[in-house]
Amino acid sequence: MFEKVLIANRGEIALRIIRACKELGIRTLAVYSEADVDSLHVQLADESICIGAAPSSESYLKIDRIMSAAEIGDVDAIHPGYGFLAENAHFAEVCESCKIKFIGPPSQAMHAMGDKNTARSYARKAGVPITPGSDGIVEDEKEAVKIAKKIGYPVMIKAVAGGGGRGMRVAHNEPSLMTGFHSARHEAEKAFGNPAVYIEKFVVNPHHIEFQIMADAHGRIVHLGERDCSIQRRNQKVIEECPSPLMTPGLRKKMGNAAVKLAKSVGYENAGTVEFLVGADRRFYFMEMNTRIQVEHTITEEVYGCDLVKEQIRIAAGEKLSPHVAHAVPRSHAIQCRINAEDPERNFQPSPGRIAFYYAPGGRGVRVDSHAYTGYTVPPFYDSMIAKLITVGATRESTIDRMRRALDEYYITGIKTTVPFHSAIMRSREFRDGNYDTGFVERVMASENFDLKPTRTRLHE
Amino acid sequence: MELKDIKAIIDLMSKNDLSVFEMEKDGFRLKLQKGVGDQPAMAAPIVVSATPALAGPGAAAEAAAGDATGLRDIVAPMVGTFYRGGSPDAPPFVDVGKTVTEESVVCIIEAMKVMNEIKAETSGVIAEVVAESGKPVQFGQVLFRVR
Repeated sequence: MFEKVLIANRGEIALRIIRACKELGIRTLAVYSEADVDSLHVQLADESICIGAAPSSESYLKIDRIMSAAEIGDVDAIHPGYGFLAENAHFAEVCESCKIKFIGPPSQAMHAMGDKNTARSYARKAGVPITPGSDGIVEDEKEAVKIAKKIGYPVMIKAVAGGGGRGMRVAHNEPSLMTGFHSARHEAEKAFGNPAVYIEKFVVNPHHIEFQIMADAHGRIVHLGERDCSIQRRNQKVIEECPSPLMTPGLRKKMGNAAVKLAKSVGYENAGTVEFLVGADRRFYFMEMNTRIQVEHTITEEVYGCDLVKEQIRIAAGEKLSPHVAHAVPRSHAIQCRINAEDPERNFQPSPGRIAFYYAPGGRGVRVDSHAYTGYTVPPFYDSMIAKLITVGATRESTIDRMRRALDEYYITGIKTTVPFHSAIMRSREFRDGNYDTGFVERVMASENFDLKPTRTRLHE
Repeated sequence: MELKDIKAIIDLMSKNDLSVFEMEKDGFRLKLQKGVGDQPAMAAPIVVSATPALAGPGAAAEAAAGDATGLRDIVAPMVGTFYRGGSPDAPPFVDVGKTVTEESVVCIIEAMKVMNEIKAETSGVIAEVVAESGKPVQFGQVLFRVR
């Protein structure tokens, strides 16, 4: 087992990784930017090294500084978390050549799945259904029009290096295809340094259902069921649940097997997620594979009774897949709400700043993964997620009631958060009926009954 | 930042009834907080904190307010091991009292077996050698103070 691990990330996931390390008796080294000097994970780590100025490009993305810190900290392994360098195959290669274990898949698997386009071809080869689309990168608008005509509108133009909902445009006709093609390329160039795009059929208001994969270095790969991440705003997930209200045992078996088959075909190791789009007709199409631990790994943990981050560390240290993970079965329902420092009344505009008062909900079946605390200043340089609120229950209905209750006791003052937004969703008929798809948030927010009414107590004064 | 600048800020704070002022620039952080009501009384109202030094549990280096007149910090622009000379037996590049210009090499920071020459990027006279030769330094850590 490792003696010391460097956490190449920040915020709640850095805290998550430190907690797993501490439970495994592993010493922790946190690297941080100047904006994160007061961050909780830096304070809880055994050691910490400042690696740069606030902007991510000056700190969390600086491979050379992270490796220097790893060297002087004399670490055995690096956990990249999610985002930042987590899916950077070059970073994994640098770790490999420095003989520091990268807690994640082999770099060659990251290369295979990292390019959305080559991932599709691996899926095709593995017999996993994919959405009809271009055979590869679409070079120019003439080709784009030809392909769109062939597969039929509406189509989605997607960046091959994309992620986080960026570098994507939907086109319903030729004129919007032309503008969408160029603006997607432009956005992709700016966000990922690679303007290449491909085109696929746009499944209207699909369900976004993903499967958790866990593979050890001894050839064993299992899936730990699905998560429904259809509740999205601007292509970013806001609420996730496990299991999916749309799932049947038969469909789970089919999709789970497809996910495992794909992972096997690229020699996958460690944690990963295979994402699918599912139409109302329950036909599923491979979308992409994320070669990292995900934000919503938490709900799988609650439902399947396992610690996925600890398992990542064990696998990276060479151990075989734990029996309780290999034979895990779903035994409850779980929902996660991503709490962001954003103002839902002002179009979710970011709301960084000092948290004057912070009280997180508790009680039976409530889990909070957060690095926030009273007096903590949310910096403006990074993503706005400050907490993950997870509730677990025996049934979907009781899990929703519990989430509603927990949100009502979540007090964060000094900044605006999306807590009232989540409360309104938990109260919506459509969500409670389990009848939602990726168009849900827009519809529900436009409806008259949508009321962002924060709870008021004396604690606010 | 000089003492007269800090006095001017305190003045402005009083005039405008502000209780907290915080600023950060180039590894230098300044926080001024007026003692209010049930806030714990502070021995010194001025807290000047340098970016925390490399680790032990709970370690957060805070330089005493002391004399903030005219001393500028040369800070580490990278992460690595600090050496005062070009090699273990070589004499140090600079000592207290040495005059430096912006282009003067003041030390080496070694990272991943690469020796990086660090320039002063300021001119003046070395007043203090803060970092210890052979020890690791982090980004923003104070290496020297220059008058």
